[in-house]
Amino acid sequence: MRRLLFIAVLIATLPLPIAAQELRLPNKPGSVKFAVIGDTGTGGSDQVAVGKELATWRTRYPFEFVVMMGDNLYGGEKPRDFARKFELPYKPLLDAGVKFYAALGNHDDAALQRNYKPFNMNGERFYSFKPQSGVRLFALDSNYVDKAQLEWLDKQLATSGSEWKIMFFHHPLYSSGETHGSAELQRGLLEPVFLKYGVNVVLTGHEHFYERIKPQKGIAYFIIGSSAKLRKGDLVKSDLTAYGNDREYAFMLMEIVGDELFFQTINEQGKTIDTGSIRRTGKVESTSKTTSQPVVPQAKPSPAQPGPRQSR
Amino acid sequence: MKVSRLLIVAALAVSCGRGATSDRSDDQKPNEQAPLVATSGETSEPALPAAQIQAATPATTPIADEAKATNVHPDAAIIQDFKTRIDAYMKLRKEAVKDAPRLKETNDPAKIKTAQDAMSMQIRAARATAKHGDIFTPEITTKFRRLLNPELKGDDGRDAKAIIKDDAPTNITFKVNAKYPEGASVPTVPANLLVNLPTLPEPLQFRIIEKHLVLVDEDADVILDYALNIIR
Repeated sequence: MRRLLFIAVLIATLPLPIAAQELRLPNKPGSVKFAVIGDTGTGGSDQVAVGKELATWRTRYPFEFVVMMGDNLYGGEKPRDFARKFELPYKPLLDAGVKFYAALGNHDDAALQRNYKPFNMNGERFYSFKPQSGVRLFALDSNYVDKAQLEWLDKQLATSGSEWKIMFFHHPLYSSGETHGSAELQRGLLEPVFLKYGVNVVLTGHEHFYERIKPQKGIAYFIIGSSAKLRKGDLVKSDLTAYGNDREYAFMLMEIVGDELFFQTINEQGKTIDTGSIRRTGKVESTSKTTSQPVVPQAKPSPAQPGPRQSR
Repeated sequence: MKVSRLLIVAALAVSCGRGATSDRSDDQKPNEQAPLVATSGETSEPALPAAQIQAATPATTPIADEAKATNVHPDAAIIQDFKTRIDAYMKLRKEAVKDAPRLKETNDPAKIKTAQDAMSMQIRAARATAKHGDIFTPEITTKFRRLLNPELKGDDGRDAKAIIKDDAPTNITFKVNAKYPEGASVPTVPANLLVNLPTLPEPLQFRIIEKHLVLVDEDADVILDYALNIIR
């Protein structure tokens, strides 16, 4: 009996299965490596746990920057809040020189955050940056999609010249969330511009869960708003859902190698919950229905994928 | 000559009163369920330094009547009037903050907060006499209601109303020239409504709280004016 108990305790305390902790990204020299987090600014233990995992994974996968999906600081935004809700949870990464690029959420004070240098927003509500030739990321302010922002986006995309055009902002244009759901009004304005210029991938937050959306009109969509907050049971799996998880805190690792973008989604315990890749095909004629640089219709799971659990 | 001038003044006064009355009735009937407390003038915050600059807000005038007289489309004249008021604020703002520390990128959030507070204080001092309706005149309020009304019908309208409710700050008490409450969420402005309103210069933004339209200086977090019951 004692022996059985001992074995049970031993099994429970064993580290996670090796397969779940494996890096599923190519980790190739010279590739674009980054992480994605969303809805982080609680300062709570779950944010800290995710921050710790990010730092641990970086020892194996040296990502150069992190993109933040907004709601970077909930509640107060006093100097001590910047420390408690950002600087401390990600201290090892900041100390290692990892750059963070923030988008604004509906809980963020734009004037404070866009001037906070560690968020790398250059004082702007919306901006873009190019980590490497051929790849450009665009941070939008989905709280306030006004004519000025749309004109800026149109101009930026028209002159971008990058093969990979990745958008990140707060409100998901497609979502199976019960609380919020798809941001259809923003979609009505943004999606035509994305299609016109061949945007490949859209990363968002707002919903406190992880959802990989089936590609919509050739664009891959991810929701990652569970890096510090969870809304358990809020993800009602729909026709949009390729995979969803509203039970675990999560962050994503991404890698762009040539025409392929690899992703791995990991929970706060370091366990992989989703993985796959997206292939960008050559330029084709764009229409109102599809992007000029479509991704493959379905994200391709890695061969070693353990088979992610569906939330429902 | 004197008699005709008197007649013009009397006619203007009558039309001015009529416009204000019809709209004021709306303004005086905010949604009873709404926790919004709209007051103008004094704030409960610490006393501000004496105003250095006088608010250069154009007087409220019956723009539609003037437009008719000058053969300008009344709607265009009202929008132009709104733009003139915004320009006047921007001019005042520029003058008010010229000696304040600039908001600039830094690693130290305390410095940003200090600059924001200083800017806010200067703007509020310069607008010490600002009151409700200085920017959202009755005519402008009515015009904005008409601009937004079609967008509030059908599926898009339902979505817009849902967005306004979604994560909206609750129990906000705000006043003209007061600071937007620290830590309060920033309500997302439905995109279909926003594209129907005039574009504002940075750093001004519209916000919709409950059924009311609020104009804020986003950098300084100052409430410049509000229009009640804009959403129906």
